[in-house]
Formats: sequence, structure tokens, C-alpha cells
Amino acid sequence: MRLKFIGVRLLRGLLTLWFAVTVTFFLVRLLPGDPVLAVADPNMTEELRAKLLADFGLDRPLFVQYLDYLRQLFQGNLGMSFRQSLPVTEVLLERLPWTLILTMSSMVVTVIVGIPLGVLAATRAKGWIDRLIQVGGITAQSLFVPSVGIFLLYTFGVLLGWFPIGGAIDPDATGFAATLSMLHYLVLPCLSLVLVQLGSYVLTMRSTLMEALGDDYVALAKAKGVKPRAVVWKHAVRNALLPTTTIAGLQLGMLFGGAVLTETIYAYPGIGRAIYEAVGQMDFPVLQGAFVLLAAAVVVANLLTDIAYGFLDPRVRTA
Amino acid sequence: MTETTAPAISTSGLSAEPDPTPARRTWAAFRRNPLGIASAVTLVLLILVAICAPLIAPFPEGYGTDTSQPPSAAHWFGTDAIGQDVFAQVVWGTRVSMMVGVSASALAIVIGLLVGVAAAYFRRLDTPLGILVDLSLSLPVLPLMILVAALAGPSVRTLVVVIALFSWPEVARVVRSQALAIVPLPYISAARVVGGSALWIIRKHLLPGVIPVVGVSVVLTTSRAVLSEAGLAFLGLGDPNSWSWGTILHKAQQSGALASAWWTTLFPSLAILVLVVAATLLSVAYNDARNHRR
Repeated sequence: MRLKFIGVRLLRGLLTLWFAVTVTFFLVRLLPGDPVLAVADPNMTEELRAKLLADFGLDRPLFVQYLDYLRQLFQGNLGMSFRQSLPVTEVLLERLPWTLILTMSSMVVTVIVGIPLGVLAATRAKGWIDRLIQVGGITAQSLFVPSVGIFLLYTFGVLLGWFPIGGAIDPDATGFAATLSMLHYLVLPCLSLVLVQLGSYVLTMRSTLMEALGDDYVALAKAKGVKPRAVVWKHAVRNALLPTTTIAGLQLGMLFGGAVLTETIYAYPGIGRAIYEAVGQMDFPVLQGAFVLLAAAVVVANLLTDIAYGFLDPRVRTA
Repeated sequence: MTETTAPAISTSGLSAEPDPTPARRTWAAFRRNPLGIASAVTLVLLILVAICAPLIAPFPEGYGTDTSQPPSAAHWFGTDAIGQDVFAQVVWGTRVSMMVGVSASALAIVIGLLVGVAAAYFRRLDTPLGILVDLSLSLPVLPLMILVAALAGPSVRTLVVVIALFSWPEVARVVRSQALAIVPLPYISAARVVGGSALWIIRKHLLPGVIPVVGVSVVLTTSRAVLSEAGLAFLGLGDPNSWSWGTILHKAQQSGALASAWWTTLFPSLAILVLVVAATLLSVAYNDARNHRR
């Protein structure tokens, strides 16, 4: 039963990935931007142009190109960067760890801060703390990632000078000092992403917990004389956590989008910064590869969330 | 607000007025919510700024003599690294940001409405369309929009199409769930029995029931589209010939003003925040008013 549950999720992940790959392939080939123009000088000779087309395999029928593209993807080949004479895979894989550190740390911090805030609001429903948290949550949902990033950078990086404002690590640090410096550089970009995500976690936790607190089993626990704190944390929160896990899955796409913007501001050397640089240089293979890689990251993270959900709620496993 | 197909209620006062129309009841409830009214006024003001931009400030172009000046009486929002007035940039930015936001969301809503209604009405389409929507929603949209916008070449039209292309699935999902609640109702079956064509039933009977729900998503989709435009423009994919709030931030980032001239980024950021918060609060107020049942 457990295997079947994971199998179905795996299949769905693969379908999503195939969809992402196919959509990008046809978008890139069918949009007006001639991929060759991007590598070629407009006044180059016809032969040189033809040779370039052949080199990039752009002279063959579209469907053959598509199959070829899929085959290469299976081998982990995302094509060559137009600007840096390097395979896209090489350019991006070197960046991927930084993006994963940034996104995953911000997600963990968001959960650690967001869930207690949601519980606080729900247990004091209609009080002033609840109002404050609600208004804060709605505002947080309306934040524009670069605005938050710039604000934190200016306030804590420039004015107060507490944190470095660009890069991901002090290149001179070694050993334990390197780890510390990495965390030091991580604070502001991570905090930016936490602030923009927090709203939906807090508001979801609040509303689901309020619903759970009205359920019969809560009334029963209270009637049995369980302490109010234990009723909330041991009984109601456990059930309210489930929809909040779903939010984590739904927000992943947005989280990676936010990482692109945040990395751009802090010159953080992840995939997002690579995307920003590739936009400036019109390096389409890198843009395409970055999207495929981020889509894969979202699919994997979604799979993990689903499996975690399965552990938290036995009912889902059979579905 | 929304027209209903019910016969108009006479307001001549001859008879004791029966139940007011739902639209009127919503308006009555909405009017009593100060937060909702304030948000609506804010949005109207922003629209006015967008329309009257040429009357408020000259189009920011060329080089000025006062470079990187903090806010003063002459330059309310200060000046940027090449001496342009940030206030003028924000005012003109309102125009492009709102235009892209409104057009993209209008397009997204039309597509979402068609797909959502089709999925709910034609059972056979439901599964494939549902899968399409789910798949689109689970992808990281911003990197995909970046790829398409870069390929198509940055312009206002590209931005509108790209944003709409990746924003309709959410509308489709909302529309579908609302339409699914209406399709099994007896009056739809009755319309089928009298021999109405699918198109006529959808237009005359299904759409009027779905439109009020779309009312909320108009505002929300627009504010999300404004955010998407700002994100793309911030990364350098804005229209190179016009100003938007994201473009101002992009130029500040490129000139290194992020770390020195706070005024070049604070004011466009505030403009975005005000618009999105007002849109969110307005939709919350509208929802509350609609759900208000006495």
C-alpha cells in the first residue's frame, strides 16, 4: 500500500516534469526569437549561419529535435551556453546548492515562526493580537520580493552594517569560520523570503486551527479535563498541521520565483543570479536549463511534502 | 455591479419592496465597511494618476543636472543617478504598471472563464483541463515567464501576453468550482430539456452565476499581474521605452543605488505595496459583503 502511494506520486512528478520540458522546448522553437540570431552576428555569411544551425542541430525537423532533446535530457545534457563556452548543466549545477540552501532554510524558518504565530492568533481569536496577526498576514502576502530585499539590505546591511550585502560566503574563511560566514551571508536573503512566505502559513494555520478547535474531539478532550495547552498543541494543532503542509507544496513554485529575485539583489551565486545574468546576455539555453532545473527541484520537493503528508496522516496513504 | 437576469424591481414605492437584488444587498453591506471603501478610493486614485500622468509630471528622459539628490521641495522623491526626477518616474510608472496589470488580468480572466466553464459543463473536458491546470499551477512560473519574455523580446505587449498566459489557471480553478455547483441545478437541466444549445445555456444561465465570483478575482488577478510585471521589469525584461515601477527598481539596481540612494527604491516599492494591499483588502471586503446573509 505504501509503495503504491509513493508510486502514484512519483508518476505525477514525472508527468509534471515532462510537461515542463515539453512546454519549454516548443516555446523556445516556436517563438519569434530566432535562437541562431542570439549566437550569430546579423551580417554573417549564409554558410556560417547554416553551419551554426547544423552545430546546434537546428536544421532538422522539429519532432526529431524534440526526441533528441528528450534523449539528451535523460543523459543530463541541457545544451551549451551561448555566452560561456560551457555546458549549461555545468554552469547551473555549480549554482544549485546555493539556491537549495536559500530556499530550504527560508522554508524551515517560515514554518518554525509561522505555525506558533498562527496558533497564537487562533487561540486568541477576535482579540487584538489576532487582529494584528491577521493584518500583518494580509500585508505580508502583498509584499513584493525585491522591495523587501532592498529594504532589509539598506536597513541592516548599509545603515546598521550588521550583515554583508553581497555574495554568499567570505572567500578567505576556512573550516568552521567558513560555515559561520556562510550563515552570516545567508541571514538577509533568507529573511526576505521568510517575510514574503509567512503570511499564507500564518493565515492558513489560524483558520484551520480555529476550525479544529470547534471539533467534537476537542470538546471531548476538554471535558476529560485535559489542560487547555495540551488540548491545543497535542490534539488540535496536529490536525491543523495537515492543510499547512499542503500550503508548503503549493508555495514551492512561488518560493523559487522569489529566490530568483532575492539572489539578484544580494548577488547570491545561485540559479536565480544565473538567470539574471543570462537575461542580460540573452543566453537562452541557460534560461531554459534553469527553468527545467527549478521545475525538477519543485517536483522533488513536492514529492517529499507528499510523502511527509502520508506519514502525518495515515488516511492519505490509501488514497 | 453585476446585472441579474431577474426582472427589474420597481422602485416607484407602490408596493412594499420585496428582497433587494443580491447585487444591491452586496453594495449595501460593502458600503458599511470603511476598510473596503478606503481601498476602493485608493485604487480609483491610482487609476486617476495613471490616466492623468502627463498633467502631473513631465515624462522622465535624458540627463539632469542634479544627480542622486535626496527628496527636496524641487524633487519630492529625489533624483536618480542620472538626474531624473523619481516622482515623475513613479507617476509614469503607475501608467504602465496599471496598464499591463489590467490588460494581462483581463486576458487571463477571459481564458480562465472559458476553460473553467468548459471544464464544468462538458464532462469529457474536465479531466484533461483539470490536469492541464494542475500541471501549470505546480510549475515555478516566474522562471518560465522570464524565458518566454526574453525570447519574445521585451515590450508592453509581450509582458501582457506572457503574464496572462501563466495567470489564467488560477482563475480557471475558481471558475470551475463555482460552475460545478451550478451545472447540476434544475434550471440548467430545464434549459437543456427545452432544447437550448450548449453555448446558449452557458451564456444565458451559467455565466451569470459565475460572474460574481470572478468579480473578486479581477482585483486579485490584476494585483498579481502588477507584481509579475514588476518582477520581470526588475530583472531587466520590462519595456525599454517606458517606465514601470519595476523598471525604476531595475535601474536603481544597475546603477548601484540600492546601497546608497534609498529614495530611488522606497517610493516605487511603496506604490506597489499600496496597490496590492488595497486590492487585497478590497477583495476581502467584497467577499465579506457577498457572504453577508441576514
